[in-house]
Amino acid sequence: MATEQLTISLNEVLFFFTRAGFGVNAPIGISEDFASSNMWIAANGFDPSSCSIEALNNLDSHASDLAVELKKSDSQVHFVNPNNVYLSSLIASVSVVDWINIGSRDVELIVKNVDSPLLVIAAMGANQCSGWQAIWLDESNYEYLVNFTEPGVWEMVSSNTQPIESSKGGSMIIRPLVETKKYPANAVLKKFVTIEKKEKILQTGVKVGEHWPGIYDYFSRCLVKSTAESRASGAGAGMVDTD
Amino acid sequence: MISDSNLSNLSVEFMRPPEQVMRLDRMGSSHQTRLSFMRSLIRRMSKQNWKFECLRRDIDNDGFGVSVYAVTTPLRTYSLIAFTQDIPPKKRTDRVIAEVWDATFNLFDGIPTQADIDYLANNTPKQEGGRYRPSELVLARANKSLRVFEHVISTLAKGNQPDIELLSSVGYLMRTTAVYGSGKFGCADRAKIADREECKGAFQIELLAVYLIRWFTIDLAEHLARKRGGDKAVKFEPHIRQFIGVGNATGLGMAPFLLKHPVLIHNLVMAKESALARVRSMETPLKGTLEKFTKSLIQVSQHLREWSVEDEVQTTRIDRLKDEIESLSHWCGDQINLFKPYPWNGIYQYVEDRFSLECQEMVVSLIIEPHGSLVDDLAETMSSASTPKLVAEMPLSQLKGIVKDYYVWATSIDFTLTESQHHFWYYSEDKLEPRFGSRDVDEGSEQEMPLAIGRDAHELNHALFSASDETLVGEFVLSFPKFRHIIRRIQNTLQRPYSEVQDNLLDESMRPLDLLRFKLAFFGASKFDPKSDLWTRISMYQGAPMPDQLSNPDCDNWFFPVTPKQVI
Repeated sequence: MATEQLTISLNEVLFFFTRAGFGVNAPIGISEDFASSNMWIAANGFDPSSCSIEALNNLDSHASDLAVELKKSDSQVHFVNPNNVYLSSLIASVSVVDWINIGSRDVELIVKNVDSPLLVIAAMGANQCSGWQAIWLDESNYEYLVNFTEPGVWEMVSSNTQPIESSKGGSMIIRPLVETKKYPANAVLKKFVTIEKKEKILQTGVKVGEHWPGIYDYFSRCLVKSTAESRASGAGAGMVDTD
Repeated sequence: MISDSNLSNLSVEFMRPPEQVMRLDRMGSSHQTRLSFMRSLIRRMSKQNWKFECLRRDIDNDGFGVSVYAVTTPLRTYSLIAFTQDIPPKKRTDRVIAEVWDATFNLFDGIPTQADIDYLANNTPKQEGGRYRPSELVLARANKSLRVFEHVISTLAKGNQPDIELLSSVGYLMRTTAVYGSGKFGCADRAKIADREECKGAFQIELLAVYLIRWFTIDLAEHLARKRGGDKAVKFEPHIRQFIGVGNATGLGMAPFLLKHPVLIHNLVMAKESALARVRSMETPLKGTLEKFTKSLIQVSQHLREWSVEDEVQTTRIDRLKDEIESLSHWCGDQINLFKPYPWNGIYQYVEDRFSLECQEMVVSLIIEPHGSLVDDLAETMSSASTPKLVAEMPLSQLKGIVKDYYVWATSIDFTLTESQHHFWYYSEDKLEPRFGSRDVDEGSEQEMPLAIGRDAHELNHALFSASDETLVGEFVLSFPKFRHIIRRIQNTLQRPYSEVQDNLLDESMRPLDLLRFKLAFFGASKFDPKSDLWTRISMYQGAPMPDQLSNPDCDNWFFPVTPKQVI
């Protein structure tokens, strides 16, 4: 399974990414949401392994962690990591979605120094957020704008060549959608209708590339070493079964 | 009180509550019903006049090679591609960690080209070691019953019918040891086919593959008999052919699946319990149904005499069940017991008050059986495409209320006792085989699968004591992310009360077998043959019509099959 070029199913994305999250010690509930976000990423035609490997590496190396503090003001809610490391996108993504679901539409959500902004976007997409907008400037000074215009439809605007999945270390502003009439002249707008993209993926499978072995390695941490004893008795059936 | 839009107010009063239904001992006493997935699939095949055809049989005189069997539904064609090979007897195991099988299969979406068959010939015989594409809907494998397969071929080749007693004692020619669908190993995701008419309901495409495998095994045996016996050879008598099922060995993998799909569990149980409630709530029986029921008691007595297993616990249960069915027959023979208002509820209540769970659940099946017109619509509600979402805006006061109302079974367990956390579930690195370990014996409890629902609910309950009622769930999980998983399950239970197994799955006394039987009964399996607490053999489609019998008027009448010569 740990080969460089591979086509996997959406269900395998769910299976492997849930356990990959668990493999870097994220709680299972967070890992499940992380995997759902990756299914959304895959359904939109991206390679989920390249979108998520950085976030898992960061948790594993303690370059990020799952601690998050909430700072509220009248018009803003800030999500901040208190430990002077990246705010892990695994916790940032679910926290943002929870806050959107709690219902206040008259505040901006500010997500500080999140390691993989696309995972926050993916969680919003996977949860059918609509009428919201996210903008961020990442640590390479690349700017991105994502609009969730209606359920299942989103658009991405960027004037740089760096793919969105490589964007790292952004401070995101998430707010109710503001219609933007004009983008910079060199900006490129891409529109995604998730259900249409997903329909294609269901016919072709999800292509995963060079980062897949890293995902699989984290997944493998959930596996238990086989011993002679567990091999003989752990699954009940015998080693030779005839009838 | 359970509410459902498919039930009248009267029926709702007859619903059995989750705390009665969702207990392991009752779940482990389940039997097939007319809503079981195999039953509903056969009805659909018959109603829609599906066409079956063997497209290819490139096999040698020993039966080794490749075959293709196609089924055409009103809208599309599916093909079973079967690869058969010679394997050493000592390599036959029902375990996931097996490496070779007598036969390996794919259910293909459409009719395969030669290039497709060439691709699969390099992958399918490796099973989990191969990779599959969205054109492959199912991956499966099977091993021969060594006792029956050769006997059948040699007797048919000589112009005789096989020994019916031997056939009855096994029930099948081949036994599947895994049937994978829903995106496993690169196969098509369930979402690809979920909206198709022929896939509505649960596991229909996987069970179509199994039906075709059964047909393949029977056809293969007849073909080999012809090769060996020439003109002397005969085919099975139709009633014997119909009696041959396809075996299955089911192990631990099915248990985690069940626990990870609480919405599906609820939908399955809700459909069955709704069917039971509809029947029990009838004041006056539908014409002919009581007669059908009393007749079925005779057939089921025969079925029980033929349900013979080595497992001592199950043998004791079957023996008691035989006695109880006989007692019920006598009771039903007194017309005063049946000819009064709400007769079905009377029968159910009589059995519930006196007899074993095994008998209670069998009678549930028997009283639902004559009521196709009343309950068959429920079969299409027995699937699920939704996944529970966390309700972040729920105040903790409400969450505490749900825990109090629905999780007493968990909060009352003393998890400080060693026996309460004796077991753990894990995936082995050995082909990802699911295994069941003992915490004080086996390594790997740190990698325990998240199936400790009772323990997690218990811990959450403690954490909630000190949390303010006004706090929202979304705020609470910011501080306690480890509870996100269990809170989501608990919130789901409010909407879907049959979604949770109300027993401690880590307890020393826990038998995974109960979970396996519960799910297999929904599949429509019969003659459960436990080989340990961790796995069981079963028969599938035994007694079901063959493709050329699907237009027969009685093609839906194959529950609790009996040996042909003894058909009543």
